[in-house]
Amino acid sequence: MGKGYMGKVLFVDLSKGDFKEETIPDEVYEKYLSGTGLAAYLLYNRIPAGADALGPENIFGLMSGLLTGTGSLFTGRWMAVGKSPLTGGWGDANCGGQFSPAIKRAGYDGILFTGISEKPVYLYIGEGKMELRDASGLWGKDAVETEEMLLEECGHDAKVACIGPAGEKLSLIAGICNDKGRIAARSGLGAVMGSKKLKAVVLDGCRRIPVADRDEMKNLSKICSKWVGMQPPFVPGNMTGFIGAFMRILPTQMAQDGMLYKVMLRKWGTVSMNQVSAEMGDSPIKNWSGSNKDFGMSKSKYVNPDVYTDCEMVKYHCYSCPLGCGGICKMTGKFSETHKPEYESVLALGGLCMNEDSDSIFYMNELLNRAGMDTISAGGTAAFAIECYERGILTKDETDGLELKWGNTAAIVSLIEKMIKREGIGDLLADGSKVASQKIGKGSERYAIHAGGQELAMHDGRGDPGFGLHYSVDPTPGRHTIGAWLYYEMFQLWKKVKSLPAVKPLYHKDAKYKADEEKAIWSNACSKFMNVLNGSGVCMFGAFIGIKRTPTFDWLNAATGWNKSPEDYMEIGERIQTLKQQFNIKHGIEPKSFKANDRSLGIPPLLEGANKGRTVEIDKLMKDYWTAFGWDPETGKPKGETLAKLGIE
Amino acid sequence: MSYTIIEVCNGCGACKRLCPANAISGTQKSLHVIDGSLCIECGACGRVCPKQAVKDSLGRICTAVKKSEWEKPVFDHKKCNSCVICIDACPTGCLAMSGAMGKDKHGKPYMKDDKACIGCGFCAAECPVDAITMAKPAAKAA
Repeated sequence: MGKGYMGKVLFVDLSKGDFKEETIPDEVYEKYLSGTGLAAYLLYNRIPAGADALGPENIFGLMSGLLTGTGSLFTGRWMAVGKSPLTGGWGDANCGGQFSPAIKRAGYDGILFTGISEKPVYLYIGEGKMELRDASGLWGKDAVETEEMLLEECGHDAKVACIGPAGEKLSLIAGICNDKGRIAARSGLGAVMGSKKLKAVVLDGCRRIPVADRDEMKNLSKICSKWVGMQPPFVPGNMTGFIGAFMRILPTQMAQDGMLYKVMLRKWGTVSMNQVSAEMGDSPIKNWSGSNKDFGMSKSKYVNPDVYTDCEMVKYHCYSCPLGCGGICKMTGKFSETHKPEYESVLALGGLCMNEDSDSIFYMNELLNRAGMDTISAGGTAAFAIECYERGILTKDETDGLELKWGNTAAIVSLIEKMIKREGIGDLLADGSKVASQKIGKGSERYAIHAGGQELAMHDGRGDPGFGLHYSVDPTPGRHTIGAWLYYEMFQLWKKVKSLPAVKPLYHKDAKYKADEEKAIWSNACSKFMNVLNGSGVCMFGAFIGIKRTPTFDWLNAATGWNKSPEDYMEIGERIQTLKQQFNIKHGIEPKSFKANDRSLGIPPLLEGANKGRTVEIDKLMKDYWTAFGWDPETGKPKGETLAKLGIE
Repeated sequence: MSYTIIEVCNGCGACKRLCPANAISGTQKSLHVIDGSLCIECGACGRVCPKQAVKDSLGRICTAVKKSEWEKPVFDHKKCNSCVICIDACPTGCLAMSGAMGKDKHGKPYMKDDKACIGCGFCAAECPVDAITMAKPAAKAA
């Protein structure tokens, strides 16, 4: 009987050119699922303490999810894993597109690389062959060029994951690309791939993915699909800013149901949130020093969602996605088309830098996607550099003559181009704002808005303290894809996990800013659940419509034949999170050092705008989060009894 | 589980040419062999074999069917949610997604390369919302 997973992984030793299949016992999947969970299990013991993330001892992997290819929906995420050169701790990043099932169709739940190749290579698996091939001719090519050349060489049905020039040049904010410019961007794992001289992985298998109960999978998927298909007509894009303003002004808030966000995602994609977020204080402005007062509707209207859908030629769906938030947009200039920019990219290259030029955002989006550089970190680092220039910390001589002023579009574009090429000032900034600030000194550290070395995403903890907390406590810090109060509301886990508290349908906003005990329960639940999602390959946007509508736990049981309760799955998530934290401890990281930059937490608080006067009670929130996980409340290190309870050796 | 070839094989190579998983080896006029670790049980070898030399994974002899009568996928675009699972499930790459369809910018799957279709039915089997049925071309036309 099938169990949804392939039951084995492939290890490729790039130093020796060896391949070794490893069968994974069923008990491991039962304890860690697949995806990042399985990867944490495999890498924890095998990467030696203190290993250089860009050295031969680091292990880099591409993982598929347990639910990928099982007839479930929203389960097309694949994950890059390894020790992060950006944070020095556990690194993972995930991405959609069509690559995730290709890993399983090649016969594996994950493909992992050790060692370093002498010359650039790519891995090919398909047509009964498995070989490392010369990639010298691809080195230096961008991600789109690389994929096109590889498809020409290997056949157009193959699926490709590759690095662009940013990964080759070991930029610590480089990611891994698939589907011509989608990118698993965070944790700097593109640099790990570059350090191994691994340009690409090309997969062209057609293995069947075994499932325990396909009929039940379909029954569950049909219900999910019906929910996603509900699409009432919606307001024009230029009205979204007013929705955000209305939400900002109201003293109360309704618990958010992800169905509303689903409707917006299906209509516009993530850019639907551009103006809403800028208005309601979710989106950081002017390197986190500004607010909606600085980037009001007269400026943000240039990034209203209709700007993006007006030039959208076709929407596309990632593997097994019934929603279809992605799109291909036409553009003029050097590139004829680009993936529809995501909210994160638009705001990082827009409001964060006070740039209101939409055309430049399209251009930089495509440029960064092709380079394989994280748009969040690139935008965050550009904003840092602008603030340094405005404050006189960086001079015009040091910026290669660029007038790095807020909103100077031409200078921002030049800066991004230089970062990609590691040219002049770009070389200083290509490893992110933390590394740059350490080199610059002069008090610039205060303006490097990161957690543990990774730039924060475009969601403000001063608006939703859950973001500030998860930026600061996750083993992969600075990411918006783990948890928030908003996420707890939308996941609706209490409908399946009976021990979890339901959110009141209507509450006073002040309740969000109290660091009471319930917040630790919420944030712990988000972290655990997100590990279940990343072990299964589930897209967070699917999970946003609620656990009953996107029935991850039920799909897992139907795919594997297990009979686990929602609580059992949450314990698996707890185990994975604890193991990742333990990975960081092993590599010498003090969890407190991951606390996000003070400014992002309202220390000192903003004097105006949506988040005026707000300070995140971060120390209490962090302590409560650690305590609820059974980690030491003072140090954030998992206690021995917690490790024993979870069976972590 | 895997399909197997029995000794009545005349080594014509039709199955080897068709196998989308490159699981069949053998030289002309000699007994061909299916590599069980590569076989995906699509059944194409059994449908094309003129000598009834192929057994399915349950040990039953497969019957040859005229290529013109092989079942092909028929898409119900009203049920389809554009999730792309069928495209990925197809071992021969004969399906593709359309571009925008009028005002609806969500593409839909269609048969891109009819000749490449081996009638395996994996697209229908994996479709999570049962929007694909397999039908003989004649029935499809009707």
